[in-house]
Amino acid sequence: MLRAALPLFGLPLAGAAATEEPTQEPGSPGEPPAGLALFRWQWHEVEAPYLVALWILVASLAKIVFHLSRKVTSLVPESCLLILLGLVLGGIVLAVAKKAEYQLEPGTFFLFLLPPIVLDSGYFMPSRLFFDNLGAILTYAVVGTLWNAFTTGAALWGLQQAGLVAPRVQASLLDFLLFGSLISAVDPVAVLAVFEEVHVNDTLFIIVFGESLLNDAVTVVLYKVCNSFVEMGSANVQAADYLKGVASLFLVSLGGAAVGLVFAFLLALTTRFTKRVRIIEPLLVFLLAYAAYLTAEMASLSAILAVTMCGLGCKKYVEANISHKSRTAVKYTMKTLASCAETVIFMLLGISAVDSSKWAWDSGLVLGTLFFILFFRALGVVLQTWVLNQFRLVPLDKIDQVVMSYGGLRGAVAFALVILLDRTKVPAKDYFVATTIVVVFFTVIVQGLTIKPLVKWLKVKRSEHHKPTLNQELHEHTFDHILAAVEDVVGHHGYHYWRDRWEQFDKKYLSQLLMRRSAYRIRDQIWDVYYRLNIRDAISFVDQGGHILSSTGLTLPSMPSRNSVAETSVTNLLRESGSGACLDLQVIDTVRSGRDREDAVMHHLLCGGLYKPRRRYKASCSRHFISEDAQERQDKEIFQQNMKRRLESFKSTKHNICLNKSKPRPRKTSRKKKDGLANTEATNGKPPRDLGFQDTAAVILTVESESEEESDSSETEKEDDEGIIFVARATSEVLQEGKVSGSLEVCPSPRIIPPSPTCAEKELPWKSGQGDLAVYVSSETTKIVPVDMQAGWNQSISSLESLASPPCTQAPTMTRLPPCPLAAEEPQPPFDLPYDPRPSFAFPPSLAKAGRSRSESSADIPQQQELQPLMGHEDRTHLSPRAANSHWCIQFNKGGRL
Amino acid sequence: MGNKQTVFAHEQLEAYQDCTFFTRKEIMRLFYRYQDLAPQLVPLDYTSCPDVKVPYELIGSMPELKDNPFRQRIAQVFSEDGDGHMTLDNFLDMFSVMSEMAPRDLKAYYAFKIYDFNNDGYICAWDLEQTVTKLTRGELSTEEVSLVCEKVLDEADGDHDGRLSLEDFQNMILRAPDFLSTFHIRI
Repeated sequence: MLRAALPLFGLPLAGAAATEEPTQEPGSPGEPPAGLALFRWQWHEVEAPYLVALWILVASLAKIVFHLSRKVTSLVPESCLLILLGLVLGGIVLAVAKKAEYQLEPGTFFLFLLPPIVLDSGYFMPSRLFFDNLGAILTYAVVGTLWNAFTTGAALWGLQQAGLVAPRVQASLLDFLLFGSLISAVDPVAVLAVFEEVHVNDTLFIIVFGESLLNDAVTVVLYKVCNSFVEMGSANVQAADYLKGVASLFLVSLGGAAVGLVFAFLLALTTRFTKRVRIIEPLLVFLLAYAAYLTAEMASLSAILAVTMCGLGCKKYVEANISHKSRTAVKYTMKTLASCAETVIFMLLGISAVDSSKWAWDSGLVLGTLFFILFFRALGVVLQTWVLNQFRLVPLDKIDQVVMSYGGLRGAVAFALVILLDRTKVPAKDYFVATTIVVVFFTVIVQGLTIKPLVKWLKVKRSEHHKPTLNQELHEHTFDHILAAVEDVVGHHGYHYWRDRWEQFDKKYLSQLLMRRSAYRIRDQIWDVYYRLNIRDAISFVDQGGHILSSTGLTLPSMPSRNSVAETSVTNLLRESGSGACLDLQVIDTVRSGRDREDAVMHHLLCGGLYKPRRRYKASCSRHFISEDAQERQDKEIFQQNMKRRLESFKSTKHNICLNKSKPRPRKTSRKKKDGLANTEATNGKPPRDLGFQDTAAVILTVESESEEESDSSETEKEDDEGIIFVARATSEVLQEGKVSGSLEVCPSPRIIPPSPTCAEKELPWKSGQGDLAVYVSSETTKIVPVDMQAGWNQSISSLESLASPPCTQAPTMTRLPPCPLAAEEPQPPFDLPYDPRPSFAFPPSLAKAGRSRSESSADIPQQQELQPLMGHEDRTHLSPRAANSHWCIQFNKGGRL
Repeated sequence: MGNKQTVFAHEQLEAYQDCTFFTRKEIMRLFYRYQDLAPQLVPLDYTSCPDVKVPYELIGSMPELKDNPFRQRIAQVFSEDGDGHMTLDNFLDMFSVMSEMAPRDLKAYYAFKIYDFNNDGYICAWDLEQTVTKLTRGELSTEEVSLVCEKVLDEADGDHDGRLSLEDFQNMILRAPDFLSTFHIRI
């Protein structure tokens, strides 16, 4: 059939086929091309890349399978599983092909698999921690590795002399030293794989891991020196060669580091000018880092050191220069590549071990090596730690030492190096290969398996996964300065002195040179941390929001629970309100008081200042999104803000009409309200933060955005900065009313509670400022299940009412509120106007801080303006007299800001 | 050190050793450093407990300290009357607090004092603004500074009174044990 069809296709394809033919069928050269083949099997053309892709695919699938069971991966490190998988695969290949294939080739390993891992670790290395412990790391890396290499080599030689190693292992002292040098180095890949799952404390991790990275230079030098000595023959080695060996240690390590730094500099400088070609920014990072690796490799310097230093050195400037998206791209690509490489390495290690033709077993050598590497590692660690502790401010205790000695894993580097040995020069190569394989397997599997229980059993300090806080950053800087000052006074040029000098140099020259102007402006580190905190939260917010939105309303997490009104447990309540209303489970789940406020500040800044993440949000869900230049967009947004503000005033007349739409919100929020109320009240009787203008604001906003959405969907673009605007307007309106009802100021009335948000609601802008969310969530949901929602809301209201009292009892310190408020809340008709024209509550005095002079408060205005939703914590008693004032202040500032 | 006895009486040295975390040798080193600051002011004979102060102008004008934003604050905190002029006792105190032997609480207390610019026993927003402004060398706008301060306060303010008490500060610092562990110098 195929043949019959050929003539049909023959003509048009003839030309192309003719050129391809000869290359495609090398197996049958004699056979003349029998016309055009419609279907052709071209395995040989694609074989190499196809196999690579297949291997990576297999490795990734294996990873997925491993992680299907949480139990297995929590007990067994992934690296062990991969090695075992490699063994199985290798066995299959061996059985099928009758010969071992697909080994871990040293060339592939060093040129392709290792660089991504090292780059990843160097780039994401916590640089401060690294340099704080640099002394210890260098000691372990240099002295420790030398010690391990020589003692292991010498001890093995002693073992041979004692006759415990079979005589067929023909090796001299030099051979053993060579073997010792390659087997002694702690392997970064293995250490990373195992320690990442163990989560020991940062100091311990950075010491072991830093050692494994930096000892590369020592390993490379030792290996090369020993190797050349072996090749020269021990008789020909001159004294000068030893000196050269020592000199080459410095050359290789410092040279590698220098290459890395040069490339880091180039990289930073290049990214400074990529403003118009953002798209290649991630590529540049990888290319230049890889170039650093290859350059160092070419000059036989320490490539690992080079790429580590490159990553370490460029990060600060690159991160400042490249766009946020590029940063994300760099991060994920790097992690993906590293993880891929790591997976493949371990799997290939397993496969390589199957090939028994390469290795020869000698029990004495294997057991001896195992014992010696463990013993000398431990001994070396203890000795060095003892010396180091004389100088360390925070000494490494015994437990740390145990983990450090036990964490000395060997891995693929040793294996690749031993494969590279020349069999003609090193007759015992096969024995060494076997021993290395056993050592690698033992350390990765046995030690990798047991280190977690060991760490648990020894109660090693774990690393705490807390968010980086501004406090931390602030105090770190302050302490640095203080310490540097004190060191200066005493005339002691210690670590802090040099760090201080370096920072000044960096600030004065390097940053100026390597960062683009706009980046340099925000480069102050404290502000930077603040900025990052915001960005990170924005991303998590966007991720969660995007996730929920993409599930097209039907799967809104809150839907099931909304329908099942019977569920009245508090957690359920929390979950519902969290997922349904604010799309942010995380915040609800965490401890409320401090965290909320923290988040609030960030998100308010977000509302006001950060455009990109919110743009992303838009982009992901708005059909009308038009990609514009960021700068233009921001200008436009500012313009739109102004326009919006003017529109607001007359639009505010509209809410009555579309009030029904806003019902869901009051209901949900009032539920949370109680929760939040209990919370704030619990904090020693301070004025509840969550009563006030913000409440109404949220509702108004919802209404408007919905109405807008309906009237003109293209207006969604404008919804962006609702957060700021509605606050201003609501405040003004509410404040005016506040003047009217000033007599009631002491008792924040519950009358407006139903539409009012909880403390979370008011503090988290996306909850209070529903500008964005209301549009999407509500439009989606109402389109699909309007009736359902309506019913659900009605139900939930009733469930709410039944729940009203428990939170109340949790707030015993609610002294300022008469008991009636909460009770009064229930009878409040749920469909009442959220925008109650009889606000009997008091407003935050905005700017009237009790003890402040006018001038001080004016300095505070920007802050206040950002934090208005938090105003509740101000003393309400000062309110009404100043209400008018503060109102104008706000207005004024809004205007100025916009 | 042959002239050790001529600088301090034996009892004086013992008293210093008791009051600080230093050995006799370190005390002598610190003394010579102190004397170096103002050779014409500080006598080499301290047996009579002379009332000598090194004025802040001398400390603050040290070239190494030129760029340090906290030089004045440190001198103020550790000087007796808060004017930045330091006696030998103050000088020794300062290093004593920084020594590894000093307990954490003491370190935290002095760190707190350094932050507390207006000496009211609390770190309030104004104090923090001072700190942030100093740290950022005035590169942030007032708005940004107050944003940062607000967040810092929020993070650490355990009792939500809008300012940090010593307890708040200690809590916060103990929660992240790395802070104080780095608050040492080796003399």
